[in-house]
Amino acid sequence: MNGSIVQVVLFYLLAALALTGACLVAFSRSIVHSAFALLGTFVGVAGLYALLAADLVAIVQVMVYVGGVLILILFAVMLTARVDEGKESNPTVGKIPGLLAMLAMAGLLVVTAVKAFGPRTVISEANPPSTVSPIGNLLLSKYVLPFEAISVLLLAVLLGAVTIASGRMRKGAGGKQEGEAPR
Amino acid sequence: MVPTVPPAVSPHRRPPRGTVRAYFRNIRLALSTAFDGMSVTMSYMFRRPLTIQYPDKIDKPVQEMLPESYRGVLEVDMDRCTVCLQCQKICPLGCINIESCKNPETGNREVTKFDIDIGLCMYCGLCAETCNFDALDHTREFEATVTTPDQMILHFVEKPREVTKLKAAEMPVRKHKGSILQKMIPAFGRRHPQEVWTPTAYAAAPVPALKAPTATPKPAAPVASAAPSAADSPTPEQAP
Amino acid sequence: MNIMHYLADLLVRSLFKADPATWPYTWIAYAVVIGVGALLAFAFVAIFAGPVTWIERRIAGRIQSRIGPNRNGPQGCLQWLADGIKCWLKEDLVPATADKPLYLAAPYLVFTGMFGAFVVLPFGAHVIAADLNVGLLYILAVTSLVVVGLLMAGWGSNSKWALFGGVRSAAQLVSYEVPSAFSLMAVVLMAGTLSTQGIVGAQGGWPWQWFVFRNPFLFAAFIMYFISAIAEGNRTPFDLPEAESEIIAGYNIEYSGMRFLFFLFAEWANMWIMAAVATLAFLGGWQIPGISPERIAEAKGWTFVGWQALSFAIFVFKGTCLVFTIIQIRWTLPRLRVDQLMITCWKYLVPLSMGSATGVLLLMALVREGGIVDWVMRGAMLLVGLLVAGAYIRKVRATFMADRDNYKKMEGRDLWYPPYRLP
Ligand code: SF4
Ligand code: SF4
Repeated sequence: MNGSIVQVVLFYLLAALALTGACLVAFSRSIVHSAFALLGTFVGVAGLYALLAADLVAIVQVMVYVGGVLILILFAVMLTARVDEGKESNPTVGKIPGLLAMLAMAGLLVVTAVKAFGPRTVISEANPPSTVSPIGNLLLSKYVLPFEAISVLLLAVLLGAVTIASGRMRKGAGGKQEGEAPR
Repeated sequence: MVPTVPPAVSPHRRPPRGTVRAYFRNIRLALSTAFDGMSVTMSYMFRRPLTIQYPDKIDKPVQEMLPESYRGVLEVDMDRCTVCLQCQKICPLGCINIESCKNPETGNREVTKFDIDIGLCMYCGLCAETCNFDALDHTREFEATVTTPDQMILHFVEKPREVTKLKAAEMPVRKHKGSILQKMIPAFGRRHPQEVWTPTAYAAAPVPALKAPTATPKPAAPVASAAPSAADSPTPEQAP
Repeated sequence: MNIMHYLADLLVRSLFKADPATWPYTWIAYAVVIGVGALLAFAFVAIFAGPVTWIERRIAGRIQSRIGPNRNGPQGCLQWLADGIKCWLKEDLVPATADKPLYLAAPYLVFTGMFGAFVVLPFGAHVIAADLNVGLLYILAVTSLVVVGLLMAGWGSNSKWALFGGVRSAAQLVSYEVPSAFSLMAVVLMAGTLSTQGIVGAQGGWPWQWFVFRNPFLFAAFIMYFISAIAEGNRTPFDLPEAESEIIAGYNIEYSGMRFLFFLFAEWANMWIMAAVATLAFLGGWQIPGISPERIAEAKGWTFVGWQALSFAIFVFKGTCLVFTIIQIRWTLPRLRVDQLMITCWKYLVPLSMGSATGVLLLMALVREGGIVDWVMRGAMLLVGLLVAGAYIRKVRATFMADRDNYKKMEGRDLWYPPYRLP
């Protein structure tokens, strides 16, 4: 397909969206704005996935990150006390360690990217084949062990959350457990 | 000791919370009650609406649907008013303004002004009860919209007129309630151009059963002795 | 090949006499066609969402023995236009203490989320903006933008009612996304694809070919999807985010004018999306009874256009029936309490929808499609559906008859006043 110009333009637009979002997250004075700016990053990255013909990954990115993670972050931020005050947001610990961490992370990402794809441009076809069934098949055949391990991990997390929550509830409710439930 | 009544075991007793039976009972109840509710609301799609579409799409004027004792805009029949000033005195707000004088030529009393400020009136009904001559009364008119504030003062006397000397029984029949107002406020007269708005139709309106027939003022009652009757006076046509 | 590609290719071929596969500017034609398509979809939303507000108010009126708006235009059918223009002309107020950027951006985000879903709705055999491979997941994903928008509105308004409304609606949407996804998963398992056209194609035109009557588990999944869709759309009885008796109007309380209209618009558009997804996933979508999709695809000229129009009409008709049901539910059931809402979701809908998805899997493994057991199951489910419908009609008639004589005695008129006779 000769829409490569369009793709390039789209790529830069989406990348700009993702980067702007990330910058806003880092530099915004208000922590709520930071949390909302994550939306731009997530959507931009999802758009990049879609540009790479990874439709399932793109959709799941939106679904999980926007529909789940972002909402949870927002909940946590909104339930935090004194969230309006600017000083609650982004305290700098130290410039040198931050820089070092950033460089290390960037190096890691670049190495991974070069190792995975090499120096080439990925341009998707006009009507790419669906990635849903290959991913599904791989998940349940080649990668079934990591898949199961992750699900066990999630289960453990769930159980832990329930335990903590129920323990706190029992302590907080005290003796009035009988009367609290209206029906 | 008071004997305790054993608790009646209802056939629809709620199963204990948290049991499997309660769980499925809840599901069944949710579905069946939603089903019942939906069928009730659906049946209303086939029922006649109750709304009265005031002011245009109605069978008869709203004034006719109102009860006879409705306290609408006040109205004076100057043919029956003796200018006793009872109404002016009793009005707590002073909405009624009556002026009279003696005509030096004829020596008769003349009333020069009978104003009611309906913007001030609170429709308490005291003046109507006080009037012993059935001159001042509430009508069932309520659409008293006017365009300027001074129109809210109703002038029942346009030019000085002689005050009647007749006794109540000899006086002319009370004009149909509302007919005087309709001439005074254009909106009243213009209300239902398509309908013939006749006083007879008004008088023939059903009288609520609450109204006691004994409440009519005695025709020959002297001015001072008649106590204000509790119910508002019916029109003379309706009096037995 | 969907209608977008077809039209774009047609444009290139006829206007520029070029082969779309090799011509270097084909993408411009695509962009133009996509833009026009988006406008058309927007027009559909507007034309649908507007009158539905009027229809809902008329229906609500009848259900409450009232009449509803009947003054603007013939039988009041232009009421929505009057309301829309009124909203448009109103002042767009921004509260002084509002968090401005968030406050201003929220309505657009909500609207984008709602509108995005229209891209993959198959309105007809080939009437679809983009038949994505991950269509259903895409709908679930873009509607999560709405959650962020609502939270943004709630926070940005800097009002406690708005914040309550936003947080409530976010909690509600996130929770109910689980059962609705599981119910749709049952369908996806049956169809073996996530694309909306693929799901419609896996069904047929006749009721016994619809997914809802395939087996008991899918029937249950349909009901559960419908309930969770209503909850996701913040409609009564799950309208806690805008519960006017508790938090006045919820997340949109501080909004006025055009921005408020955007929220309303999104709500009505969402009603249509809910109904459309239920239709395409469970009720056979646009499938014309007795006409196979291949025959439609092979048809030429006006026959092709006719089939498209018929399939469009069928889809819109089914969707409208569901929309009517949603409206009726709104005027029937009272609002749930917050804890009841969460109990309904997590204790009832989530396990039951998981169970129904598992049941569908089991049946797929055990029952051969087209076999005798399959047909018995379809027949039984169809019978159940008919019985429920029959019981419903009987019940409606009984409720009506119970009051008819009394009404006659009291009013001297007949109670019967059919819905098509508009007062
Ligand atoms: S009480 Fe009656 S009779 Fe006396 S002045 Fe008033 S209206 Fe006239
Ligand atoms: S109704 Fe009451 S307020 Fe009005 S004029 Fe009569 S006495 Fe005064």
